Amino acid sequence: MALIEQLQRRVVEMGLVPKIIALLPLVSMICAMISSLWLATLPIEGQFRRTYISENALMPSQAYSYFRESEWNILRGYRSQIEHFGEISNNERNEQMAEWLQEFGAKTSIYNNEEYGDSLYGILHAERGDGTEAILLAVPWYNAEGDLNVGGASLGISLSRFFSRWPVWSKNIIIVFSENPNVALRSWVQAYHTSLDLTGGSIEAAIVLDYPGTNDYFDYAEISYGGLNGELPNLDLVNIAVSITEHEGVHVSLHGMTPESINDESYWSRLKILLCGIYRDAFAGLEPLQGNEAFSGWRIQSVTIKAHGKEGGNNDITTFGRIPEAMFRSINNLLEKFHQSYFFYMLVAPRYFVSISSYLPATVVLTAGFALASLNSLLANQYSNLSFYSHYNLKALLFWLVSILVSFVFSQLFLYVPSTILLVAFIVVMLLLPLAAGRLWTITEPLSHRLQMYAFLYMSLVVTSLMMVNFTLAFVVGILAFPMTAVGTQRSLTFKKYALLIISNPLVSFFIVKPHPQLLQKLISAWQDLGCWTWFVLCLGWLPSWTLIALSACSSTNLDPVATSKKEQ
Amino acid sequence: MLLKEKYAVVGCVVVRLAVSLLFPSLQTQLDKSVELSTPMSSYRLLNEGIFLLRNGFPLYDGGVVHHPPLLVAFMSLIEPQYLVALLYALTDGLISYQLICMARFFSDLGLPTWLPGALYALNPLVLLSCVSQSSVIFTNAFTSTAILCALNGNLLTFAMALGAASYLSLYQLSLLIPSLYLLSRENNQRSRATLAVLGVFAALLQLSSVVTGGSWKFLQATYWSQMNFEKLFPNLGLWWYFFIEMFDMFIPFFKAAFNIFAISFVLPFSIRFQSQPFYALVLCIGWITLTKPYPTLGDAGFFLSFLPFFKPLFGYMRCPLLSALLFIHAIILSPIFYHLWVDLGSGNSNFFYAISLVYALALGFILIDLCWSMLRIEFDGGRPNYKLKVTQI
Repeated sequence: MALIEQLQRRVVEMGLVPKIIALLPLVSMICAMISSLWLATLPIEGQFRRTYISENALMPSQAYSYFRESEWNILRGYRSQIEHFGEISNNERNEQMAEWLQEFGAKTSIYNNEEYGDSLYGILHAERGDGTEAILLAVPWYNAEGDLNVGGASLGISLSRFFSRWPVWSKNIIIVFSENPNVALRSWVQAYHTSLDLTGGSIEAAIVLDYPGTNDYFDYAEISYGGLNGELPNLDLVNIAVSITEHEGVHVSLHGMTPESINDESYWSRLKILLCGIYRDAFAGLEPLQGNEAFSGWRIQSVTIKAHGKEGGNNDITTFGRIPEAMFRSINNLLEKFHQSYFFYMLVAPRYFVSISSYLPATVVLTAGFALASLNSLLANQYSNLSFYSHYNLKALLFWLVSILVSFVFSQLFLYVPSTILLVAFIVVMLLLPLAAGRLWTITEPLSHRLQMYAFLYMSLVVTSLMMVNFTLAFVVGILAFPMTAVGTQRSLTFKKYALLIISNPLVSFFIVKPHPQLLQKLISAWQDLGCWTWFVLCLGWLPSWTLIALSACSSTNLDPVATSKKEQ
Repeated sequence: MLLKEKYAVVGCVVVRLAVSLLFPSLQTQLDKSVELSTPMSSYRLLNEGIFLLRNGFPLYDGGVVHHPPLLVAFMSLIEPQYLVALLYALTDGLISYQLICMARFFSDLGLPTWLPGALYALNPLVLLSCVSQSSVIFTNAFTSTAILCALNGNLLTFAMALGAASYLSLYQLSLLIPSLYLLSRENNQRSRATLAVLGVFAALLQLSSVVTGGSWKFLQATYWSQMNFEKLFPNLGLWWYFFIEMFDMFIPFFKAAFNIFAISFVLPFSIRFQSQPFYALVLCIGWITLTKPYPTLGDAGFFLSFLPFFKPLFGYMRCPLLSALLFIHAIILSPIFYHLWVDLGSGNSNFFYAISLVYALALGFILIDLCWSMLRIEFDGGRPNYKLKVTQI
């Protein structure tokens, strides 16, 4: 303490305080730059680490996998039937599949959901387990692209049949056939935890199979792991998925990149995977789901394995089947829930990851940037001496509360009326706000500084609170909102500042980064159907701050600052 | 009573009542949050006690209820939910009014008398605590009554209020020491007050024993289980994490150490600041909030409500911005980290404990800053001289 005091005194003696205050906007800007550069340094050698299986019990690919030629005929048999499932209704499909599942002793049940589509599920009770834990295999009838998942469904039923003959299982096996990997699967997961009668215990891990088409061969497998609201499966699950896939001789792809474009030794390849991952996670729920996202929020670790291409040399459909087989064997060994390895990580290559301690500073620095901007609005003007109880300050607090309330009403309105035209109208009105200042109303200078102080402080708090839960969204929101800090307050708004204000509007900037005509509907349905809170982060976290900045960008003052501060004191 | 004061008190009651009645599900939600309710103060468990009492079951046999029997008996008399909400709102209104009355005693501070009441009314921590219907509000009401009566020199009411506060939460009994300095030395007031407080406390215990059918089991269930930290529940305090990690043989020693710690600074504060006994009392409240086994945000909110009285010292505070930011961040992050730990399972208990340490750090910073500023103004002889730089050795 004494040391800090000494230091502080030296700083004051040297007259550095006003200089530091004058430098605040620059420092804040530098913080944002460090934050973005920080991410760029993560793929540099030494910043990331090689993945490893942390839970010893998992032992991936230690047991020989038997889903081979002998099963191929059975699979083909099922497939010749399933090929035609595209022509019949969901109901008939599920009934046929239920019949097949019952043939080898699985208990089945159909979860009826008129809104999102029915799901069939069957449970194979473990012979050696106590029935309190389960591993889940999910097969959506149609995949994210809308193709009939023929290969996946055939694998699903033939793998279940194959599993049913084995006595090794210590966890129940649940197999789910849902209409799609999006809402249908998610609503089934919710129903499983709330209302379904036939259950098989807590689901430890879920694997979603996606093998569209009737082809026997495939090129490579894509592993999707990012969940909704920034959730990720335990790194151990991703590790065993990668390790088993490569063990079977199949190349692994991440985030839609082909295995040829993934080069472990190249910085740019690693950076690209990192950025793709951030982009996908930050906008999760807005893209069609792969399937593994449906399990977010229920303490279920899940990955999707998707087959790509039709011409792979040695990779036939049983090779693809051996991946879930070996993963099931591996997960079956678990004595505890997945807890050993990381829950917060980013992959830069299938076998390289960055741990949270390396990437978290990027967002911490960003929030510090907002906090410094807030401090700048407080200190770097002649009104810094106004007391906390001055009416400017209290009025600014009130403005802030009202802006949150208005934003809340705004967010709720669009839940009921998700109309793009209405949104565009609102955005235009919002963007005209700063231009109307001085004509329709006047905001005095001390008030405008205080408004900005609260706006940045709030933004900093929002990003901080999001940081651990949803790192990628926090980072993206923070970076996109950062131009706000350069707007400042002036008598007349220059074009440059106005442009900064426009691009930092939450909805405008989100549209720029993710242009899509149906963006609003996607945001709303992501919340309503999937429980993805991006819309509320935009409306309740970002919009209030932006509104305050827009109001205070243009201030007019007739006040004599010295007199004001004297009066207030 | 001035118009603004009336607004503050009425506003306090109306806001609480409105929030409780407009969002009826909020109470259960808040009651589930570990920041606002503990096994010792939760309304859910109080209700459990009421049910047991009404149906003639022994209150403390199940090991669920830890509320004092008289509180359970009193609450069982109040039937419909809106009356309960009204009672809580009125109690908070009373505290806000008492803060205003205290402000009248310190008219030389330049503090508008309505301000502490208004700040109490708007303080989100006490607001949420009131809506969650945690029973700390009664402890707070009795404590503030005791302080006000001590300022007034109203010995009898003081003794009753402090006796009741200690009855509800044992650690409040230690507030007797600083409050004695508030009373004058004449006519043995201090010794009489001590005897009276202890007498009231003993009488309440006796009455509780009568209520619970002549058994003294409630002592074990209420006070002992608090001092012995028998319910290992996460909360914002410093205790819980230690006792989930520790080897069994060390536990009794550390429980004793923690208990001593919780009251250790009461005497030094009281003696050092005996010329400013009101402030010593506030510091003691802060200290108990920081170190008691089951603290809630309601306790912290009550302590922070006394901050306006420190107005002349604000200029001396060394890091108000830092402690304010720490405090805000801790309060916002603690439910998030708890969610990561308990709901999502991607975090673990270390996350939540880390944030509760940040919270303790913030409270500690505030306490240290207040102490320092009190010493400084004493050094300056009551006339603030911000130019003079003094260093702690």
